[in-house]
Amino acid sequence: MLDLMLADARTPTGGFAQSGGLEAARLKVEQIPAFLRGRVSTVGFVDAAVAAGAARGTDPMVLEDEWAARTPAEPLRRAAGRQGRALLRLAAHVRPGALDDYAEVSRTTPRPVVLGLLGRALDLDPPEIARVCLYDDVATCCAAVPKLYSIDAATALGWLVGLAPVIERLGRRAAEATVLPSASAPLLDVRAVLHDTHTRRLFVT
Amino acid sequence: MSQIRPLRVGVAGPVGTGKSSLVAAACAALSDRVQIGVITNDIYTDEDARFLRSAGVLPDERIIAVQTGCCPHTAIRDDVSENLNAAEELNAASGPLDLIFVESGGDNLTATFSPALADVQIFVLDCAGGDDVPRKGGPGIARSDLLVINKVDLAPFVGSDVARMLSDSRAARDGRAVFAISLRQPRDVEQLAGWVLEQLAAHRAGELVSQDPGPMAPHHYPGREQSEPRSHVHTH
Repeated sequence: MLDLMLADARTPTGGFAQSGGLEAARLKVEQIPAFLRGRVSTVGFVDAAVAAGAARGTDPMVLEDEWAARTPAEPLRRAAGRQGRALLRLAAHVRPGALDDYAEVSRTTPRPVVLGLLGRALDLDPPEIARVCLYDDVATCCAAVPKLYSIDAATALGWLVGLAPVIERLGRRAAEATVLPSASAPLLDVRAVLHDTHTRRLFVT
Repeated sequence: MSQIRPLRVGVAGPVGTGKSSLVAAACAALSDRVQIGVITNDIYTDEDARFLRSAGVLPDERIIAVQTGCCPHTAIRDDVSENLNAAEELNAASGPLDLIFVESGGDNLTATFSPALADVQIFVLDCAGGDDVPRKGGPGIARSDLLVINKVDLAPFVGSDVARMLSDSRAARDGRAVFAISLRQPRDVEQLAGWVLEQLAAHRAGELVSQDPGPMAPHHYPGREQSEPRSHVHTH
């Protein structure tokens, strides 16, 4: 059940303010499913592998550096850091003390690392955490769809369901990875940097 | 400087009642007495933050906008993460601050701040929005820490009865503070500033207990007495 709580958009960790790069991408409707697949297979997969690593007990400081090296856009690192801090606030309520040592030393608190650590504190397995991370990657975009397009929210969830086999497969691979993957999506990074300068935007990223 | 975190003052109320102007006036009146930051919660833009920066009442970096993903209610009530992050960032970058105004996006009569975000909250109405609004009630009108009836200078021009707005407000508020003000009157702005300083003093003395005005739609069960409104804990 606890994996469902972590994946639930109603869990208060600031997810409502994110579109996963969808707002910045300014796509045509028919491009969105491929966008979702591209995201989750690249940056989403990297995040999931980092989260699984943290859930497995890999040194979170090493993971932070590795994650930052794979996340070149500063606005994306900043946004992930803020989401990580929100997760730490949640952790302080649901598992008091469990993440205190990490919170004390971490300066950047990226969401995937904190998600993995919180998953570990909640006794979730690395594959479960990887799956939550990948699901969230796609679900974040899908939840933003009706706010950015004239599209029924259910249509966007249809795209999410279509990606279920991809998410399951990538989740297993992310949890099994002995070396962190380095897949990237440079356009996401470029657009995130531009988006950060816009004054009329709905979403942080 | 004390290690107490900044007092967070929520400012909510319907669209166009003068929330940003009230924050600007309060900052102008208080900025030589205390260190202030402002967080704005616009729905589509960072318009409010830019307005406040252009008012020149605070250094630009003391005013930041959070993105609300079209969910201004969520950002101040259900999931205050982005605002708490912003408050921490403001204090880390420009602090130590004494107080932070958190301005809600303009909304309807039901939006109030979570007590996890606002230590005290001001609800802003205005004469031009109709003098029947206080009678309509809602959590902000009935149970905010301070209800402001703004733009009283406009009342004669729009046919609003300020005395009626005040009496309806007092009837709804069980002794909680109501100010009828015009931000063009220095005396009125000073009254507002004085109230904020009282809250700050109570916060520093550890005497301030955040009072939640209540959920957006309080339940009423037919045939059952409505529970008594909680008593006002402030001693001033």
